[in-house]
Amino acid sequence: MEELVSLRGIVKRFPGVVANDNVDFSLRKGEIHALLGENGAGKTTLMNILYGLYRPDSGEIFIEGRRVKIESPRDAIKLGIGMVHQNFKLIPSHTVLENIILGLKEVGLIINYKAIGEKIKQLAESYGWRINPSAYVWQLTAGEKQQVELLKLLYRDAKILILDEPTSVLTPQECKILFQALRRMANEGKGVIFITHKLDEVFAISDRVTVMRRGKVVFLKETSKTNMSELAQYMVGRPVIFTIEKKEVQPSEEVMVIKNLKAFNDKGVLALKGVNLTVMKNEIVGIIGVTGNGQQELVEVISGLRKATEGSILIDGVNIVNNSPEKIIKLGVAFIPPEPLKYGIIPNLTIADNLFMKAYRYKPYSNGVLINWKTIYEKSEELVKAFQIVSPSLSAQARSLSGGNLQRLILARELSGLIGERIPRLIVAAYPTKGLDIGATEFVHKTLIEYSRRGSGILIVSEDVEEALMVCDRVAVMHDGKIVSVFKPGELDIEKIGLMMAGVEIAST
Amino acid sequence: MAKLLAIPYTVKIQKRTYITRKVSISITFLSLILAFLVVGLIFIFMGINPVDVYYHITMVFSSPTLLFESFKRAIPIGLAALGLSIAFRMNFWNIGAEGQMYMGMFASTGIVLLHLYYGLIPDYLVMFLMMLAAFITGGLWCSLPAFLKIKMKVNEILTTLMMNYVAMYFVDFLIYGPWRDPKGYGFPLSAPFPDYAKLVMLLGEFAYTGLLLLSLTAALVYVILKYTKLGFELKIVGESIDTARYAGINLSKVITLGGFLSGGVAGLGGLTIVSGIIGRLRPRASPGYGYTAIIVVLLSSLNPWLIIPVSIFFGGLFVAGDILQAALKIPGAAVEICQASIFLFIIVGEFIKRYRIMIVQKGGIE
Amino acid sequence: MSVEWIEQVLQLTVQMGTVYLLASLGEIYAERSGVLNLGLEGTMIMGAATSFIFSLAYGHFAAIIMSIIVGALMGFILSILVVDMKLNQVIVGLALTMLGIGLSGFITFPEIRKNLLLRLNPYLPQEILATQQSEKLPEIPIPLLSDIPILGKMFFSHNILVYFSLIASLIMWFILFKTSIGLTIRSVGENPSMADSLGVNVYLVRRVTVILSGAFASLAGAYFFIGFHPFWREEVTAGRGFIALALVILATWNPLRAILGAYLFGGVETFQYRLQLFGLGAQSPYFLAMLPYIVTIITLIIISTESIKKRLGAPASLGIPYSREE
Repeated sequence: MEELVSLRGIVKRFPGVVANDNVDFSLRKGEIHALLGENGAGKTTLMNILYGLYRPDSGEIFIEGRRVKIESPRDAIKLGIGMVHQNFKLIPSHTVLENIILGLKEVGLIINYKAIGEKIKQLAESYGWRINPSAYVWQLTAGEKQQVELLKLLYRDAKILILDEPTSVLTPQECKILFQALRRMANEGKGVIFITHKLDEVFAISDRVTVMRRGKVVFLKETSKTNMSELAQYMVGRPVIFTIEKKEVQPSEEVMVIKNLKAFNDKGVLALKGVNLTVMKNEIVGIIGVTGNGQQELVEVISGLRKATEGSILIDGVNIVNNSPEKIIKLGVAFIPPEPLKYGIIPNLTIADNLFMKAYRYKPYSNGVLINWKTIYEKSEELVKAFQIVSPSLSAQARSLSGGNLQRLILARELSGLIGERIPRLIVAAYPTKGLDIGATEFVHKTLIEYSRRGSGILIVSEDVEEALMVCDRVAVMHDGKIVSVFKPGELDIEKIGLMMAGVEIAST
Repeated sequence: MAKLLAIPYTVKIQKRTYITRKVSISITFLSLILAFLVVGLIFIFMGINPVDVYYHITMVFSSPTLLFESFKRAIPIGLAALGLSIAFRMNFWNIGAEGQMYMGMFASTGIVLLHLYYGLIPDYLVMFLMMLAAFITGGLWCSLPAFLKIKMKVNEILTTLMMNYVAMYFVDFLIYGPWRDPKGYGFPLSAPFPDYAKLVMLLGEFAYTGLLLLSLTAALVYVILKYTKLGFELKIVGESIDTARYAGINLSKVITLGGFLSGGVAGLGGLTIVSGIIGRLRPRASPGYGYTAIIVVLLSSLNPWLIIPVSIFFGGLFVAGDILQAALKIPGAAVEICQASIFLFIIVGEFIKRYRIMIVQKGGIE
Repeated sequence: MSVEWIEQVLQLTVQMGTVYLLASLGEIYAERSGVLNLGLEGTMIMGAATSFIFSLAYGHFAAIIMSIIVGALMGFILSILVVDMKLNQVIVGLALTMLGIGLSGFITFPEIRKNLLLRLNPYLPQEILATQQSEKLPEIPIPLLSDIPILGKMFFSHNILVYFSLIASLIMWFILFKTSIGLTIRSVGENPSMADSLGVNVYLVRRVTVILSGAFASLAGAYFFIGFHPFWREEVTAGRGFIALALVILATWNPLRAILGAYLFGGVETFQYRLQLFGLGAQSPYFLAMLPYIVTIITLIIISTESIKKRLGAPASLGIPYSREE
């Protein structure tokens, strides 16, 4: 079979890590090739090299047998390579058409909106999609946005399509539509590279599978000749533990009661449409759902970062809706934020600064005006040991820490009782293991379970259903701004959960 | 034009991991020399002998009397820069130090006139009240844009800039109108300040009293930024507003207060102009000290102690400008060119220290 | 108030507004592509100075061409510093403004001006070497149209640069919203990394728009001097570049709306002078001088309110330098 892509001996180093260590990879005409690995295994880096976003330190790239040098996406596009990134690279304030034709020479100077729109419509229909070319991108659902991304590539006649974890924002039904379209593209002779860390998807869609771990290729086979447990082993490097030990504790009192909570999102659309939920002491409640169904807004309202328009949140009987974050922090609500680097950590400040970002204003770390740096450094020393944060020194910049250590730093700050010398009443953890390796994930899980047994009530938001089923005592499914179902792990099968996440089935519980 | 600018070579920029002190200092030094070379070329183009210009600039820093004069100019510049260092710490782009200084001049002159015309204030209280009024007025002038920024997300760069002009015209109005000295033969000048309203009393000479004031303020700013709750909060706000909100910091309070302190210190700088350098209020009393302060604070990388020597250097350039104008009939604007090019070359130098620049041929399909 | 008086005010409003319109047109492009050019004031005053010198030495045509070249050059310097070297746009812009004000200040001195003029054209007569003013661009009333009452004076009795500014606004609106060039510029300002991934040369686009903003700002300065107020003094543009900066926001980055905003600002300023003539503002010309700045601040506040911002949002990556590989 004809080889579309061949990468040989690719090496890419970033400060402190070798992201790609002598990697070989190939893609054939008409095949869907899954590139499997955990977060941080080097899959995305490798594909960014193929797409010209990064330049390799060494190694060769062959496209259809010709050796090429790809210095920029412009070069990649010329060679017929297209990529759909994990975060869509679309401009919300522009129309579908404008997004698709950006950078195309054939369009000419003056844009013929009508003719191009017609062409886009037909192209979309040939893959079973219905897209209005003059709609604004911000009006589209996640699935439609992905279709626009793909149309962008197809419109350019790309022969090599790279999809970086394309299903993470899709409902199971949307996934099905995507897979059908991808198969059709492969049948037309295109090559598809499908980056994922989900095993079931490998079997659902791919012809061949390459597994990467810690920057190296560790496995390559026809998909039909392997099985799930073999792939899982290569992916994590050891047998996967699918269970976690939990001591049984009877949840006693109500820590948080949310009643009929309503709030708008940044675009002014009602994102919470009457949420009801209770979290008990000693209990871990998980919220699962497709991203963008109000999870983000919910945790923001609880932590005081977003205003609610209606409803109440009682923490130990005190209504905290629309209180300042400071007041809520003082009541003992800890918040492990999504995207630590955006909220939770300031990379340019020291580790001690980051540890005391919230507690600096309370005794004994401050007398109201001055800050007691000596006490802060002594306590920081203690925390770094207790939470096993690997760091050069307390006054090192937080940016020098790895992802796992950053999450430990956040856990240390949020959980260790710096404020009021007690463990938190409520811990809100938004996507606490996103982007972490297995070891760090285990640490986070263990720590959260430990704190729940010690008396905290915990609310975890996750996009990983299996994580939620493993860690939580109760799981709530969120769809379209509402909690559509609450159940205990084991009560429902995964298909049914999937349908509820997609909003197809409303449970009777 | 587009084709022409698409150079077939591309500049590759890489972060440097390490640079020796020697190299770092020589880059700064080289930037300075280059700046003066370029300025020299401009002078030649204008038909001015650059050697004359540089001779007079070096004179300023070698003659004790002129150096003394530079100290005087350094005081308002340094105070404004100290104020800015607070605002810049919280990533608040206050480019309104000039206007805040004018408000400081307005307030301190107001106190003096209240005293002179109405005898409302006893002699010994005048100086204290002048300082208080200058600080508060300058501070309020800056807390308004700070408040607008945090409450309504109004861009502070533009508001502070526009407010400079408002303040300047306001002082113009006063001095051409109600505050014109009736005994001043119709010149646009306020009544001269009595001695106890001038910054000479403590050490007999404005330069000494002023330097003392400057150093004390620098120490205070240092302590605020490093050891107080507010300083820590300013630092976090400056790094990330989202994180500051998440950490429970009261953003409105911190930003408005930070803006107030920033403008207040600049307002004090305004006071030193009328009560130290000139001894009365006149229109356009600041030849752009507030803008120079922006350069000073950035070249000092927000370090309060470094601000003092850097302001003395820039104060010296202002003195040189006056001398050039008087002795060589060269416009004082020469100084502005020197300032701007020194600044531009030094920030380019800083860039070169942080990054390695390589010119490589553009790749493609081999 | 006679018709004549109204005609005169309206004519002056358009003439004054043209300064702001020209300067804001280029800046709209720069900001649409994500770069804030705070060197606008310095560039504008350099344009005025260049047009002064060259109109004396070689006449109006040379003055206009040279001021465009000088402005483009200043834009080019700014683009290297903020686009390629990614230095802070605010401070580099301000430094460039200081540089412009300083450089233009030289020609206030008769001796230096004379040297410069003689270097450019050794055959200039003495009275030109000594003059503080240059000849104004001639007005070209458009036949028939200029006879329409009120509108005729307002739109059809101006010099060439006023007509140019109107035509340029139309063309630049069309390019920005109806052509692939405009789409590219807008995309670079909204999401440079995406534009990059589609093969758009982000740096090139930004370099070109910043150069364009320099050229237009300088042309605005030239228009202000030889087309409106041909008497040289130090800092002759008096902060008008900064007002143009505010106009860009008032116009919500749209060249057609910029026309309206420019005439609004022009009107405020004209009104101020007119009132003074009537003796109304005589005691406080300084308060009237503040007016454009205060209007600007109020404008900033109004367009920053959530509901308006949502509809007319700023380019998402305005002021943020783009670098591909961190």
